[in-house]
Amino acid sequence: MNIKEIAKTSGVSVATVSRVLNHPDTVAPKTREKVLAIINELGYKPNWFARGLNFNKTDTIGLLIPSIQNPAYMEVAEGVEYVANNKGYTTLLCITEENVEKERKYIQTLIDRRIDGIILVSSLLEDSDIQEIKKQETAVVLIGENRGNSKLPIVRIDCFGAAHKAVKHLLNCGHKKIAIVYGSTPMMENNLKIKGYKLALKEAGISINEDYLVKDENTIEGGYIAARKLLGLGDERPDAIFATSDLLAFGVMDAIRDSNLSVADDVAVMGFDNIRVSNLMVPKLSTVDKPLYRMGISGARLLLDVIESEEGIAMSEIILQSKLKIRKSCGHKERIKEIF
Amino acid sequence: MKTNFLGLPLKNPVIIAAGPWNRDGENIRKSLASGAGAVITETIISEPNLDARPRIAYNGSGAQNIRLYSDVQIEGWEREIEIAKQDGGLVIASVSAHTPSELAYLAVKMEKYGADAIELGLSTPMGGALEVIASDPEEVYNMTRCVVENVKIPVIVKLSQNASNLSTVAKAVKRAGGSGVSAINAIRCILGVDIETNKPLLPTYGGYSGVPIKPLGLASVATIVQSVDIPVCGIGGIDSYENVLEYILLGASAVQVGTSLLINGRSHITKIIHDLERWAEERGITDVDDIKGKALDNLKSFEEIKIEPLYSHVKDIDCIPGCNKCINSCMYEAIYRNEDGEIVVDPNLCTGCGLCTFLCDARKLYLGW
Repeated sequence: MNIKEIAKTSGVSVATVSRVLNHPDTVAPKTREKVLAIINELGYKPNWFARGLNFNKTDTIGLLIPSIQNPAYMEVAEGVEYVANNKGYTTLLCITEENVEKERKYIQTLIDRRIDGIILVSSLLEDSDIQEIKKQETAVVLIGENRGNSKLPIVRIDCFGAAHKAVKHLLNCGHKKIAIVYGSTPMMENNLKIKGYKLALKEAGISINEDYLVKDENTIEGGYIAARKLLGLGDERPDAIFATSDLLAFGVMDAIRDSNLSVADDVAVMGFDNIRVSNLMVPKLSTVDKPLYRMGISGARLLLDVIESEEGIAMSEIILQSKLKIRKSCGHKERIKEIF
Repeated sequence: MKTNFLGLPLKNPVIIAAGPWNRDGENIRKSLASGAGAVITETIISEPNLDARPRIAYNGSGAQNIRLYSDVQIEGWEREIEIAKQDGGLVIASVSAHTPSELAYLAVKMEKYGADAIELGLSTPMGGALEVIASDPEEVYNMTRCVVENVKIPVIVKLSQNASNLSTVAKAVKRAGGSGVSAINAIRCILGVDIETNKPLLPTYGGYSGVPIKPLGLASVATIVQSVDIPVCGIGGIDSYENVLEYILLGASAVQVGTSLLINGRSHITKIIHDLERWAEERGITDVDDIKGKALDNLKSFEEIKIEPLYSHVKDIDCIPGCNKCINSCMYEAIYRNEDGEIVVDPNLCTGCGLCTFLCDARKLYLGW
């Protein structure tokens, strides 16, 4: 079944059928209804690829996330998909596995398939890569910083300020020996978190102990291994550990328990992301609430603005608020802090 | 009685405040049809959440609410505004967010969809932080500035009584290019505690609104008007046309009504406007400017108050049977009943505090020389 047969059966031109499908307002109601009835009766579905070629628009966007095992990215993806779907777009999900080569390949494939735009989450691309993409005139929006200053529309939080606040909170809880467990990725964001960590300690007059900065994979296992290293420091064992993601924090908590120590009482733990399960840990994980879902919906909104807006977009950078989510694992004593 | 607020010509000064009664286009249209000068959308945020249940409590005079935000996504408001304005009328979009750029994004969208002005909600009394953003003038400046720079329509900022430095915050709004302020937002509260179950009436802190907060709203409006040259929209406990006039007489250019509508329905707004128009017509007043701020001249500093030898006098009016409020409340023991059971004030003991004149429901007592 093709458009010519519909036209023939309806007794109208191919152009009219096309207008019924794509600009129904421009067709007389009587004709429109007649054509639609025949389309329904014959079960005609327009060829999606051909349609994309005609309109130079496929109503499809690509979403690149580093990992599907990390629930933080799932929440971002959920937000993106929600907005895109509401506006009639299909989202293609690509996993980069924190591998920049894979990311580059995916982007080119998506562009070759004429998708309307791409969202890059915690991208590893360099500025030169971004310049290449810009030349191909595909709409691109970042969620979280990439490496460098690309001047692309971006949704992000202030990772530096958030980490600074988190470590200050641990200091206020009375902890002095504070370590940081950070993931090898996302690289830019973690560098900022380390800076915030260092500043908070410096302001408190505490010198940086290089043994207290431990890097590993951004996974539960990575957090476990990093924490075992820290807990093996004997007298120098930290009394608080700030992890740059909740996944790492879960691994840290596991390691503390395996060392016959108590989370919060012996070693306080602070995470980052506030993924949904962090509230179900025992004790409940204190963490930095990163508005993951909202970053997803805001990123999709920005991208669709770029795709659809003729007069340009009003906001090219949306910085969302992160806030401390104080629960039990940080060892604080004031209940009111858990309410606000 | 017309007014010009933010450069918008309002047919009367009564604006229906942000709230669930204005949650979508159809409801805003109904609110406009009640006769209001303008209507403010339910507060729009970038990530609508499920509403808590229950979320509104009432104790007979004041209400506590927790998180009354629009559950319509920002994209959906394009259609809702179209529906809202199909019969004409002014619609102000209330938007709230945690950062300047997030706030500006919502404002830009609402301007594009046809909102006539933007009201910024920076002072949610629930959630947020222990210290409300609205108490930090720099934060308020940054938020307001970012929105003003990105939209062409007027921007007003809703201020919070939770901030003790209202004038400074209102000055920050003006410095940032805001066109006006509205005061006051609901106040952080716990409405009450069930003493049998040990449970607060609602499970978290919420915003207190309704008749009991009117005195706080009046004081806030007067303070802002006397310290900053910026149009003010008065909010808090307005339940009648007299309350509208109180705010205007203390300098408000317009007012907002919310809780009264929540309790009594939209027809109560129509009644307030009708009563207000009648009052104005009887006095030949056509514009809010004719009476705006007239009570401010009578608002004195403590030093300016002349001490007069006033004491309580008794009018020849019957008491309300069984009532002894004046006797019970007189801390100077100046009021008693004589052998015939009549109220008597001992002028030597009365110090003219005035409390009995307010307590007497029969209006039997007054202060005089």
